[in-house]
Amino acid sequence: MTSRRTFLQALGISGGAVAAAGVGKAALAALPEPVIQTKPDTMAPLLPQTGRPYNPVVTLNGWTLPWRMNNGVKEFHLVAEPVVREMAPGFTAHLWGYNGQSPGPTIEVVEGDRVRIFVTNRLPEHTSIHWHGQRLPNGMDGVAGLNQPAIPSGKTYVYEFVARRPGTFMYHPHADEMVQMAMGMMGFWVTHPKGRHPLIDEVDRDFCFLLNAYDIDPGSYTPKIMTMLDFNLWSWNSRIFPGIDSLNVRLNDKVRIRIGNLTMTNHPIHLHGHEFLVTGTDGGPTPKGTRWYEVTTDVAVGQMRQIEFRADEEGDWAFHCHKSHHTMNAMGHDVPTLIGVDHRGIAKKISKLVPDYMVMGERGMADMTEMDMPIPDNTVPMMTGDGPFGSVEMGGMFSVVKVRRDQKPGDYSNPGWFKHPPGTMAREFDGAVQTPHRQSGAGGGQSMPRARQDASDVEVHVRKPTHKAGH
Amino acid sequence: MNLFRAAHLRGRRLAIGAGALLLAGCASVDFEESVRQTNQDAAGFTQGRLALAGTPAQREVMAREADALLAQPLGQDEAVRLALLNSPALQALLANNWSEAATAAQGARIANPVFTFERMRSPDEVEFGRMLAFGLLDLITLPHRYGVARRQIAQAQLRLTTEVVDQVTRIRQTWVNAVAAQQKQSYAEQVYEAADAGAELAQRLQAVGNITRLQRARHQAFYADAATQLAGARHAALAAREALVRQLGLTDAQAARLQLPGQLPPLPAAPRTAGQVAQATTEQRLDVRQARLGFDAAAKAQGLTAVTSLTDIELGVRRDQTFDKAEGHTERARGYEIEVRLPLFDWGGMQRDSMNARTLAAANALEATLRAAGSELRESYSAYRTGYDIARHYRDEVLPLSKAISEENTLRYNGMLIGVFELLADSREQIGAVVNAINAQQQFWLADAALQAAVLGKPTAVAVGLAAAPGAAEAGH
Ligand SMILES: [Cu+2]
Repeated sequence: MTSRRTFLQALGISGGAVAAAGVGKAALAALPEPVIQTKPDTMAPLLPQTGRPYNPVVTLNGWTLPWRMNNGVKEFHLVAEPVVREMAPGFTAHLWGYNGQSPGPTIEVVEGDRVRIFVTNRLPEHTSIHWHGQRLPNGMDGVAGLNQPAIPSGKTYVYEFVARRPGTFMYHPHADEMVQMAMGMMGFWVTHPKGRHPLIDEVDRDFCFLLNAYDIDPGSYTPKIMTMLDFNLWSWNSRIFPGIDSLNVRLNDKVRIRIGNLTMTNHPIHLHGHEFLVTGTDGGPTPKGTRWYEVTTDVAVGQMRQIEFRADEEGDWAFHCHKSHHTMNAMGHDVPTLIGVDHRGIAKKISKLVPDYMVMGERGMADMTEMDMPIPDNTVPMMTGDGPFGSVEMGGMFSVVKVRRDQKPGDYSNPGWFKHPPGTMAREFDGAVQTPHRQSGAGGGQSMPRARQDASDVEVHVRKPTHKAGH
Repeated sequence: MNLFRAAHLRGRRLAIGAGALLLAGCASVDFEESVRQTNQDAAGFTQGRLALAGTPAQREVMAREADALLAQPLGQDEAVRLALLNSPALQALLANNWSEAATAAQGARIANPVFTFERMRSPDEVEFGRMLAFGLLDLITLPHRYGVARRQIAQAQLRLTTEVVDQVTRIRQTWVNAVAAQQKQSYAEQVYEAADAGAELAQRLQAVGNITRLQRARHQAFYADAATQLAGARHAALAAREALVRQLGLTDAQAARLQLPGQLPPLPAAPRTAGQVAQATTEQRLDVRQARLGFDAAAKAQGLTAVTSLTDIELGVRRDQTFDKAEGHTERARGYEIEVRLPLFDWGGMQRDSMNARTLAAANALEATLRAAGSELRESYSAYRTGYDIARHYRDEVLPLSKAISEENTLRYNGMLIGVFELLADSREQIGAVVNAINAQQQFWLADAALQAAVLGKPTAVAVGLAAAPGAAEAGH
């Protein structure tokens, strides 16, 4: 739920080292009161009560920032501050964000709106905000040192510009950028078209989220800010599976999903069961002639992608990054592959030294989801998430698009697991299985025959899938 | 001796003989009493069980008791008891001390009288001379010498106590070393097993193609190193055990039956306070008592030299008979003879100087002992207290931390955040911490034994090293 508080109360709860750093009372009177969010849930769309009408977006595990109209100007108030974000049930992170959450609230405006954004810095260091993708006066672009002085701790700055171009944008700091982004400072921005737009279709559901990555040691709370590439948590809106809400739609809804990438690597985002069109980038809507159907689109670093599809297949459809280690939660990168390694005798020896030792990985990593062993505090297993048929064995950037015949328009609630019509689900085959023919003499083929044969081929253990071995 | 002349002896022979016997009887040695005294003075060390086995029957009783002790793991007190019963070296020490005391007692006896008989013949005479002579000085100085001997006997008695305390302290420390070494060996075995499991696993990983030969070789290298460490630890344990076997004086058959407890005793709940330790009064300390006796003996001896250095007097009773052939009669003569060495050339000055100097030295030695006693006690206490604090630190801080690290690493292994090799490497490291903790406990018990000896006044028999434990070097990295 959105909680409205007075600004002074907001100061009180945002706490931290800068609580004493005052903001002039005279200045406060002129500010819209900041709205603070205390929950990580997906909030219902914020229907515009003032200003130009538009069809609002739904921010996955997030919310839209309310505004006030002031002489025809839309006024928002962002408070940059330390926050505690629940990234998944049982795992909270100490991040920096805006108005109580990371990422910050989504800002929704309409093409042509004059926008005034107050930014109060409640961080221990200076900050600034860059409005990624916007056309605006150079002095509003938010690069500290280049376009403006950085906003010192405890100070409030104001940005003002006209949202000239409809499209999908982001905001993030441009002062001590690497640290502040590694700490979770970012937010989504949607500029809706004013009236009908030849390249922008009306949709029934419009979702948005940011891709972000953190490096938080299992058992700790604060991201490691100096990490360059070796992040261990791949998140959507600072949530990891099974903490990411599903995208719930009605059968035959036209669905738009807007995705922005503020990580340090690309993410091939993949949807099951449907083809989609990429209808926009941070440059704006794409020309119709350039659109083609895909089931995966790569969202490169610093980019936005807007995909659209007709949800015309009922069911629970996986929706995830296709880099498979991005659908894992924190894991070791130096763990040896134990597949096919016979542990007889050794396991006993090791368990004499490490009493709680259990063999894992001998048959693959799925062991992990089956054994349910204790792991460090404040972390989520590498592979987890129970579906209707057992563990989904996923983590990180993974969610589900739920298409339901009986989902009411405007109802974003989770309809539960899909009930498959009889005969539409994979099942065990109970007939006879014929022995397959295998080709012999594997080599380099005709074009490049293998020059030399290894004298000693490694011994390959094929452990037959018998009944579950008791470890 | 001196010039002889015929003389006749009779009469007071009996009286003199009786007197000599009486005097000789005073300065004798009761070794049983000596041992009893040591058992009393060093009760904490001998458990009242110090005894010299003189007869086969006694030896048999002691052997039976030793057998009973060897039937179970040998605690520290039991080790001491076993040595007291069984150690030939300790028995030799007792016997030697007895002999020393007896020699000292000898000094307080009168030398046996000298009897001379002469027969001189001239053409007309035959002369028989008989003389019973004894040192007059012996007699005069007897009370003095008696005092000296008594002090020497007392000194021997103290020396016995001191040596027993020293021996017992050594036994205690050797026992501590043997148990600790055995304990460390069992941890070296665990490290070896960890490395062995790692090497075996690496081999199987390579066999199925999951790791390279290089990686396997690295894991195998841990194992090779651990094997060396284990060999070293095994020898150290054996050497420490054999040192104990020697201290206890075990036969080969007994040595084979020797069992040690699995671990050192736990730390006492609280360390002894400095106040408790300082309670033993300085005068009661063995080293001070010994120095004082040394001084008394020297002083007494000095009084004696005042006489002996001046002269040497000998008293003889003479009885002469002369047969005159010409006249056909016999002449008898009786008398006594005193012989005095004339101090013409040696007035005894050097001897007196020597004795003066010896007394002075003894006086200063006493003073030095008195002054050193407190200092030595303070140092011993510091070693003890530091040993206690370090061992407690290991018990209360380091080991729980190691345990926490192990547990957290198991959780991280469960979460597939670290692999089995890291888990094994960590367990080796945590075992290293345990070995360091054993070292600390060992140092404490060594210091404890040293302090017990120091309190009684026998400064540390074996140096206590409180140097910081050498990292996890022993864990075999
Ligand atoms: Cu990805």
